[in-house]
Amino acid sequence: MLFRPTSPAPTAQASLRGHTLDVLGLGVRYGAFTALDDVDLSVRAGEVLALLGPSGCGKTTLLRTVAGFVRQNAGRVLIDGTAIDDLPPNRRRVGIVFQNYALFPHMSVAENVAYGLKARGEAKPRIAARVAELLEMVQLGPMRDRRPAQLSGGQQQRVALARALAIEPSILLLDEPFAALDRSLRLDMQIEIKRLQRQLGLTAILVTHDQDEAMSVADRIAVMRRGRIEQLGTPVELYDRPRTLFVAGFIGTTNRLPCLMEGAAEGMAAIRLPDGTALRVPAEAPPPPGPALLTVRPEQLVLRDEGAPGAFPVELGLALPLGGQVIREARLPDGTTLRLTEPRLGPIRDLGARAFCALAPGARPALFPNPLSEED
Amino acid sequence: MARRHTVGELSYGLVIGTLAVFALIILVGPILIVLATSFTDSRSIRFPPQGFSFRWYELLLDEVRSRQIHRAAGNTLHVAVMSAGLATLLGTAAALGLSRIAGRGGRLADAFFLSPLVLPGLAFGLAALMYFTLLGFRPSLELIIAGHLVVVTPFVLRTVGASLSQLDPSLLDASRSLGAGPVHTFRRVTLPLIAPGIAAGGFLAFMASVDNVPVSLFLSSARTDMLPIRMWGMMESTLDVRVAAVSGTLILAAFLLMLVMERLTGLTRRMRG
Repeated sequence: MLFRPTSPAPTAQASLRGHTLDVLGLGVRYGAFTALDDVDLSVRAGEVLALLGPSGCGKTTLLRTVAGFVRQNAGRVLIDGTAIDDLPPNRRRVGIVFQNYALFPHMSVAENVAYGLKARGEAKPRIAARVAELLEMVQLGPMRDRRPAQLSGGQQQRVALARALAIEPSILLLDEPFAALDRSLRLDMQIEIKRLQRQLGLTAILVTHDQDEAMSVADRIAVMRRGRIEQLGTPVELYDRPRTLFVAGFIGTTNRLPCLMEGAAEGMAAIRLPDGTALRVPAEAPPPPGPALLTVRPEQLVLRDEGAPGAFPVELGLALPLGGQVIREARLPDGTTLRLTEPRLGPIRDLGARAFCALAPGARPALFPNPLSEED
Repeated sequence: MARRHTVGELSYGLVIGTLAVFALIILVGPILIVLATSFTDSRSIRFPPQGFSFRWYELLLDEVRSRQIHRAAGNTLHVAVMSAGLATLLGTAAALGLSRIAGRGGRLADAFFLSPLVLPGLAFGLAALMYFTLLGFRPSLELIIAGHLVVVTPFVLRTVGASLSQLDPSLLDASRSLGAGPVHTFRRVTLPLIAPGIAAGGFLAFMASVDNVPVSLFLSSARTDMLPIRMWGMMESTLDVRVAAVSGTLILAAFLLMLVMERLTGLTRRMRG
């Protein structure tokens, strides 16, 4: 189902390049519910920014406010530095690919793509040429007279994309665009949308609750929670240096080890696990002494047969051998269950065996205060 | 397929089958009897019919001797076209408005607008007569149209409301985001997608008006005679076989219209809406 976009006309390409989006102090309330709370966000020209978060975090509200469907209570939205707050949705030139594609069922593929151009009153020959060009670009030329209901999910999505691109939008908004596709098709479409976006130099916002999707498509990710942006950064930054426990838990898989923060000096923190093991971990912003949580990625833990400084005893649980690596569960004496992945080099250790667990060399665990109220 | 049916399945089929046969007898039987009777050669309405002839249909078409029936039919058609037309306009507008009112208020307004469906027609007919008389109106076709309008508009409201509730709101968002204003969006997206619902509602309203007795009973007069009232009068006084012929004509017309509407709009699907 891969499609290879051919080069669009140079004029279209030029007009799509280099638009920026700025959101300043945006606030949206529905009655007593605060959907967006003082959100600041800058999307660079030609960048894909993902809004990632659980449902109800405000990511869809932010998208709909940018599109003009929701009127904010506070703050401003700027495209290329110009405020668009007072423009109705039909005058914002913001292209949207909807979650269910929202193709007009009573129109053919070509009519769907032509819709925005007709609404703007473009001349007929120009519309025909542009529609042909766009259908060519998404490889749907032969389908031009079909109805949306006669297309597969992937084809419908490509029509939706072509329709949104037809109006030469300054910003492209993608609202959970891959959610309705099955898994194998999803990756293909992600690659193709990414390729098209690069080629056209589009500025795009991707709304999703799927971290893999955000990681694979976006240049930067804004993790949202309760109407606020919890952390904004590249996928690698978010994975390696989560600033909050929420981000640590939402991006990737993580282990949480309750511990006691004893002191910090020169970017290193001294902590003690419940069984008494003392550890020294790097910490850029160490929490105050007291109960803390250490979060460690599964690949940053290693198993050893013998004890060593910084290694703590565990009882091994289930092992899932996945080809080259093993996913392994391990239980601490206090009942905390850890998950770790290790390369499958030797024989797989037995279920129920005793072993020692330690941080891998170069591991970047993160340390957070441990008030239980912070938990979801 | 060689599979054995259990006793439960068999008795279930038996009960459903029996009920279906009863329903058919009750629903279709009378229609067949009226149709058969209308072709009788005898001078009275009696079943089984004696002989076969088109004489009552010929008499019905006779412009001089069936003048009153023709006038009543003309009135009925006029009222039905006008009230169904107005009901289609008003009902569609009301349904569009109601679809935008969320929550409790919307549901209350919806129930209020649909209430003529459950209001006893006789009570409304009497009330309308007293009210119009009080206001000093004299009986006229316009008054009957007004009366029918109240009773038939809910049909349009119902079918258009059902169409609107199935309309995906993201289609409207998509249209707006593509640069279309509210008017363009309404004409190119909303209207084409709810058109079958509007047509179905208009058809149901038309049929309800043609068929209406209670409101016409109170609001019609000698000059504004309506077909169902005239038929009732003919039955009462002379047992005129032309009544059967009129019924036969109505049944045939309704059947043909129904076929056309089913073809165009999938009417039966919408009535379930």
